[in-house]
Parts: sequence; structure tokens; C-alpha cells
Amino acid sequence: MPSRKKIRTKTSLRVLQVCIILLGLIILGRLFQLQILQYDTYNPLSRENSLRQEVINPARGLIYDRNGNLIVDNQPIYTITVTPASYDPKNTPILAELMDVPVEEVEKRVQEARDYSYYRSSRIFTEVDFETFSIIQESIWQLPGVGHQIESKRDYPIDSLKASHILGYLREVSKEEYLRTESYHLGDKTGKSGLEMAYEEHLRGTLGTKYIKINAMGQNLGPYQDGAIDENPEKGSDLYTTIDTELQLLAEDLMQGKQGAVVALNPDNGAVLSMVSAPEYDIRKLSGRLDKTYWDSINADTTNPLYNRAVSGKQPPGSTFKPLMALMGLELGIITPETEIDNPGYYSRGRRYNDLADPGKYDVGKALQESSNTFFFWLMDKIATQKGLDKWHELATSFGLGRHNNIDIPNEVAGTIPDSTFFNRVLGEGKWGIGDQLSLGVGQGFVAVSPLQMALVAAQIGNGGHKVQPHFVSAIRQNDGTMMLTNPEKDKIEWVDASEISVVKDGMRRVVTEGSGRYYADLDSVKVAGKTGTAQNPHGQDHGWFISFAPVDDPKIAVAVLVENGGYGSISAAPIASLLIEQYLTGEIDRSYVYNYVKTFEPRKQTTDEEEEENIDDQSQGT
Amino acid sequence: MINLKELSWSLVIIWASLIAVGLVAIYSATQGPVAEFLPSYIQFNFYKQLISFGIAVLLLIGLQFINPRTFQEGSYVFYGIGILLMILTLLIGKEVNGARSWLVLGPFNLQVSELMKIATILAVANYLTSGRNISAENLKSAIIAVSLIVLPAILIIMQNDMGTAIIFFALIPVVLFWSGLPYGISLFIISPAIIGYLTIISWYWGLIAAIIITLAIFIIQRRTWLTFTSFVTGVLLVIGIQVALNQVLQPHQRARIEAFTNPSFDPQGAGWNVIQAKTAIGSGGIYGKGFLEGTQTQLRFLPEQWTDFIFCVIGEEFGFIGAGFTVLLLLALTLRLLRMASVHKHPFAQLVMVGVLTIFFTHFFINVGSATGLLPVIGIPLPFISYGGSALITNTLMLGICLNLDFYKRQFSIYR
Repeated sequence: MPSRKKIRTKTSLRVLQVCIILLGLIILGRLFQLQILQYDTYNPLSRENSLRQEVINPARGLIYDRNGNLIVDNQPIYTITVTPASYDPKNTPILAELMDVPVEEVEKRVQEARDYSYYRSSRIFTEVDFETFSIIQESIWQLPGVGHQIESKRDYPIDSLKASHILGYLREVSKEEYLRTESYHLGDKTGKSGLEMAYEEHLRGTLGTKYIKINAMGQNLGPYQDGAIDENPEKGSDLYTTIDTELQLLAEDLMQGKQGAVVALNPDNGAVLSMVSAPEYDIRKLSGRLDKTYWDSINADTTNPLYNRAVSGKQPPGSTFKPLMALMGLELGIITPETEIDNPGYYSRGRRYNDLADPGKYDVGKALQESSNTFFFWLMDKIATQKGLDKWHELATSFGLGRHNNIDIPNEVAGTIPDSTFFNRVLGEGKWGIGDQLSLGVGQGFVAVSPLQMALVAAQIGNGGHKVQPHFVSAIRQNDGTMMLTNPEKDKIEWVDASEISVVKDGMRRVVTEGSGRYYADLDSVKVAGKTGTAQNPHGQDHGWFISFAPVDDPKIAVAVLVENGGYGSISAAPIASLLIEQYLTGEIDRSYVYNYVKTFEPRKQTTDEEEEENIDDQSQGT
Repeated sequence: MINLKELSWSLVIIWASLIAVGLVAIYSATQGPVAEFLPSYIQFNFYKQLISFGIAVLLLIGLQFINPRTFQEGSYVFYGIGILLMILTLLIGKEVNGARSWLVLGPFNLQVSELMKIATILAVANYLTSGRNISAENLKSAIIAVSLIVLPAILIIMQNDMGTAIIFFALIPVVLFWSGLPYGISLFIISPAIIGYLTIISWYWGLIAAIIITLAIFIIQRRTWLTFTSFVTGVLLVIGIQVALNQVLQPHQRARIEAFTNPSFDPQGAGWNVIQAKTAIGSGGIYGKGFLEGTQTQLRFLPEQWTDFIFCVIGEEFGFIGAGFTVLLLLALTLRLLRMASVHKHPFAQLVMVGVLTIFFTHFFINVGSATGLLPVIGIPLPFISYGGSALITNTLMLGICLNLDFYKRQFSIYR
């Protein structure tokens, strides 16, 4: 028996030895796998673990007006951040209490941050007031993974200045945006409209990166390698704009309570002196943390305050189109300054097209002054039949109508100047005729333009037929101080002839001195030229237009005003334009009665009596 | 009379080396740059461990002057006292980390379950070698032996210290095996651990293991009923674990299992420890980041880095060389004890040594297995290395008893 026991002991020894060695080899093999084979996986992981990459946002570029006054500035705001890797979800109720928000809100934001990046710090509460910020700071030791950032929001130093459609607002980038673009992170802001959007690349600057050592509790242990690999942020470039703050303030004041748009240009170079789209929205309320109630309210507003009527609007220009018609008629040789036609009070072409101008003999100057529809129906008839619609289209678009003019704010529309292709597409080939083209001659029918485009027409007639590039930004100052000047081109529109221009300018001058503009647009101090217009509106009261430039011989300003549902342009739009011109050229407003008139102007209620379908145009001169 | 050449100096050297490695690791884990983020009572741990080391040295020396028969003769008394103390602990013990396993004795905190390991080994060894008819082959005596182990294990489970209880259960198959349990049955009783482990990873691996083990049992033992039982048990185990995983377990328990099989499932929660531990070891590379240079250790990314996850500190700061050396030291310790047992003439001494090495090895394998992500995280210390006075002293006591039994092997054998 003892021998059997000995054998058994020996076998047991072997079995246990084999087991121990086998399991030992498994452990050693595992170590080999982790430390040698997978070293390249785990080593970066440990480095990432103990390093936190912090993004330093650059200061956004500032915006100045044409006189160098600061109109867009930055203001510090306090932001609470979280680094999900070090954040303990158990602390969520504490954080919620300190922030005075529901626990679910904190959970949601932390989850969002976590989805974005586990190791990077993300903003979870922006624009925390200083008091809450201080409370959080006091408790930061018990909130691992919670940090702060001092950021900035847009501030608008000139209190009464709105300029909402020019400047635009910033919004946090959407998930799609930050996933698409390397340089944006969760919570970053980007321009969503106006100059903020158009010049985002310049204004934004370059992100900085700071690497700091942290421990598992997320405590900051100071810079990594003494900041050797940190990158400093680069401040965004400043914009020097062409905005005339005083003029802009007046324009906003005058458009208060109305719907419509004002565009004032320097006819010499296309610089936008003022641009208003009414109603405006409050950019101050869209700065910093989103005021959701306000945001929802302006989005739900049926007057659509976010819509920039000045560049996105598409309205028939009505009679304000006639000066350009006259110029084209002269150029095409259909009329001379002396050409006279007989106006029986209507134009007859298959049917009667009524004219509110008195019957009589009309040359081009008188036709402009009295805004005779008959003359321009006749002229359009001749152009369409003798030269063709496409020639007319070519000349009209060279003034910036029916196409983009590349102004440096977003959402500009091309509008419509029909050509045969257009009619073929819209009405069908062979299904359109002279009847569809005649109304184009008086700026009705399919013609659609924006106030910006009409201001360009006024500016380009005023400056003697030179194409100008509309723009807001005259110079960009980079972080290193270098100025980049934008050099707007100014080209002669080839077909325009000086003598033709002077005929049209003369006609437009007569509008102000003797025609429909004489009530509100004529100034003693400055020679103003202009043209009223009333655009038919199938949905309600007609829209009032006025385009003008002054002084007539060497214009310094060109203005287009559109007052939606304002009725006659002569009583709605013209006084606004003339006040702007007066302010801009004389520095003050003499005619306080006009100012008071505009301020109390109520767009007329819709007329009840049915007007004739063909009674399209400018009824103003008839009154 | 005392011939120092008889002492197993190799084991003493291994013992001292392991403690030295432990002290270096504990120093790094509590005194390095990390100290800044640790409460002061943890920073004292290194010095407390030094004191424990001093006590351990005295114990190891002192033990050699004890008559080896004392261990055998006193085993039941120790066992009885141990059980009483365990019950006392359950009633008035102090709770640490959720386990009520500490008995406060004046200035000392005693973890009775640690001492109970020794008492249990001695009692079981004594029982199984106390008579000619008593052996693991005999079902009745096998059951009594198992009961001797299971009783303290149950008390430990009641103290809510699952990790230590597992160590006791690991004793059962090894001790029975050594005292003559047939091979097939031995394989059968360890099969649940193997099948269970593989089932958690993937149910079909568990099934394959069940089939292979059944075949092996059939080949070794050729007993129809055992083969059949083995197969049925294996299959039921696979099904049972699947049901438990999916239906029975509480979410937090499931999360722990999930964290083991797939740490990235919840990197912030249950998977955090596993990820950080593996990252620490893996980022150590071949040579390690250097003493006090481990970022995972010094920036406090490791949980319990002076006790249950101390192996990560070694792995990170001393790399594959250091970690491998530590593993080899621990393997040498167990293999040396095994060798010692096999050449001892007295079955009691053999069984004590086998029991002790089983405890050392189980601790080692579970601890390093947890740290390297091979096993679910079960919080037990690495013998001689982890911080912990009770554990160091108990382990030294166990080793000291083995050295004593070995040292007196000639005389001891004659007494028989």
C-alpha cells in the first residue's frame, strides 16, 4: 500500500506542477500580450488619459462703422464645462442644484457632451451669470470633471442701433456642423446671418489649444511640457464697414412699425451706407445664451422679422423701373429725347391699358415726370416687337437686375427679369405673347426686384452709368495689424451713353420738382432726383417705392425705399428717402413736419372698391 | 540541535523578495507624486506596511522555535477559536468597503478570516490524516473534510467578503485531490469553475468544455454514472449560468460581468477599473515607465492601487520585466512549496503545505487575472505584495509553518 501511496503522491505532484506552470504561463502570456503586443494601443491611451486638450477660443473680430466707431464688440460670459471622462454622474444632482436647473437637464447636457467626446471638455452651460459662476467655483473641488471657461458674447455698444439684418447673429454650431468641420467644437458659435455669417472665416480667428496634465479626478496639474506644444489662439480680424451709423439710426427710426426696406448706397463705389429691413429683430436678445421664447416668437411671427427684405425681397418695381426703360429706349434708338407720342389716356393693344396721367402729347421727359403708362407701354411694345425681349433682358440685367450682385451678406436673391427662355419655361413655348410683355415696361408682371437692386439702379443712373459693386466691408484688419482693403470695381456699363443718361436724370429731377415727388421729396438745400412707384400687390394694399439720388449732378447718395402696403410711393416711400438724403447731405433734418408725417404714417387699409385689372400702375400722379 | 542549513533558504529569499517588491510598489502607490491626491491615512500605509514587515520577520523567526506537532495537535482548537471569532466578527465587526470582516481588538484591527485560512488548513489536514480509514476516497470523511472548509466559507460569505470565500472553495478540490480523491472525481469537482468561466465568455465554449471534460473523465475513470453526471452537470451549468446572466442577476451584478467580457460597454462605470488597469499594465511596455513615473498610478487613475490593483503599479512602472519577475517569484514560491510537500514524509505536513500553496496561488492567479482582465474583478490582495498587515502576517504565518514543518521534517517524521 505505501508504494501505491507514493506513486499517487508523485502523480499528484506532477499534476499540480503542470497546473501551476500552465496557469502561470497563461498569466505571463497575457502580460506579453498587453505589454509587448498591445503596447501601441495602451501607451497612447494612458497618455490621453492623463492629458486634457483644452480649446482656447480666440476673440472674435470687431466691427466698425465707416467713421471708425465700434458697433460690434465682445463681452465676457462665463461658461461651465464638463470633461466626461472625469465627471462623476453621482454629482449631477449637486450640479443641478447649483445651476438651479432640473436634474434631467444636466443629465441631458452631460450625455450630449459625452457623445461628443469622452476626454475633451465641452460646454454644458453657457452665459452663466457671475454669481452662479462664483458659486460653482467654490464647489469645484467636489465636482471632478467640471470646469469653466470665460468666453465672450457679442455686444453692441451703440444702444439704439439695431442693424440686425446687416450684422446678423451667432448661433451654436449644430451637431452636423461640428462633425463636419474640424475647427468647430460642441458649443462653438458661428455666424448664421448678415456680416457675421459672410465674414465668419475672418471674424472667427484661429483656435488655440492648451494641453494640461490632469489626474483621475480631473484636477488640473498644470501645463504639459510647460506649454511647449500649446498653440495660442489668434484673434479674429476686424471689419471696417461702410455703414453710416447716423443714417442707419434714422432709417431704422423711420421704418419703425412699417414693413419694407431701405437701402442707401454711395453711388460712387457701391458702399452700403444704410440698410434696413423692417420689421427688425433684436440681435441683443440673440447674443449669448439663446432666449428660446424670443427665438420661437420671431420664428413664428408672420411678418417674418428674420427675413432680410432688402436683399431677399422680390417685388415688382412698378414705375421706379421707368427711368431704366427710358434709358433703354434711347439706347435702342426707338426714341430720342424729342420723340413725342399722343396719349389718349390709355394704351390700346388688343385691349385698353389705362393711364392715370393726363391725356396729351408726351416726350420721354414728360413721361417720366408724369409717370405716363401709355408712353412706356408703347415703348415696351416697340422694344419687344423691334428688338426682341432678350435684348431688353440683356440691357436691364447689366444694371444689376435679375441677377446676383454679390453683396457681402448672405441670402441675396436674383429676382426676375424675364427673357424668352423664362417665358417658355413658365408659360410654355408659344403660349406667351405681347400681352405678357407690355406690363414689363411699367415694372409689373413678371419683373421682380429687391430694394438693393433698385438702389443700384438709382446709383448707377446717378453716377452716369457706372456699374458698382455693393458692399459693406471696406477693409479687414488682420490680427497682425495689416489692413486688407476691399477694392470694389467700378466699370462703365458699356452701352450707356452720357447724353442718354442726362435725359433720364433730367426726367428724374422733374419727378421731384414737378411730378409726384414734389410733395415730400423736393429739398431746398439739395437737388434730388428720383422716381416714385406703386407696385401692384394681389394680396393687399399696394407697395410704395421710391428710388432717388442726390445731388443730381454729382450724386453722393442713392436711396431705394420700399414700404410694403404703403400705397402710393409718393406718400409712403418718398418722404423716407428724402429725409435720409437730407440727413446725409446736410447733417440735419429741417423739415420736421415730414419727419412727423413719416413717423405717424399708417399704411392705408385695403381699398374696398374693386379696381380694374389693367389699372396697374402709379396712381400717385393722378392725385 | 538547530542546523540552519536545514532551513529552506530559497523560500526565505523568495519571501523577502516578494515583500521588497511589495514595499517598492506600495511606496510608489502612496508616497509618489500621487500622495497629493490621497487622504493622509492612506499615505501612512507604506509605514504601516514596514511595521507589519517587522512583525512578520519576528514571526517567521519565532515560528521556527515551535514544536511542529503543536500545529497538528492544536489544529482543532485553533479551528474552534477561529469559528467563534468569526461569529463574533459577524456580530460586532467593523465594516470596511462593504465587508464586515474586521474585529477591533484595542488598537489593532484584525481580519479574522485571514487567520481562519490557517486554522482551516491545519484542521482539514489534521482530519484527513488522523486515521487509517480516513481519506478522500471515503465519501463520509470527504464530506466531513469539505464541511470543515465550507463552514468558515459560509461565515465569510455572511460577512459579505466573496473574494476570500472563493479562496476557501479553491482549497476543496486541491486538498481532496492530494489526499487521494480519484482523478476523475477531482476533475469533476473543478469542472464547474472551468465551464462557468468559459460560459461567461461565451456559452458554446462552456458547452465544448463540458463535453471535453466529460470525455476526459470517461477516459480516466470509466465509470458510467460519473461520466453521465459530469455531462448533465456541465450542460445544466451552461444553461443555468445563461439563465442567471440574463434573468436572475441584478443589474449591477450583471454590469460587473459585462464589464469583464466587454469593458467598453460602460467605460465610466463598471468597466472603468478594468480599462484603467489594463491601460496601466499595457502602457508599461517592456521596461516600464520608471519608478514613480507611471501616469496611471501617479495621477490616480487606478482604483485601490496599493491593494487589489498593486500589480498594475508594478506593470506600469517596471514593465514586462518587472511584472514578469514578480510572476516568476510567485510561481517559484508555489512550486517550491509543492516540491517541499512532495518530499515530506509526513502526510499532515504535506497537506498543510499543499493547502498553503493553494491559497497563495489562488490569490496570485485571481489578483493578477483581475488586473489583466482575464477574470472578472474579484477584490483580493496579491500575497506578500499588496498593502495589508493582516494579510502579510497571515501569509507569513502560513509560510512560517511550512518552513517549520520542513525544517523539522526528520524529527517530525519520527514522532509519527
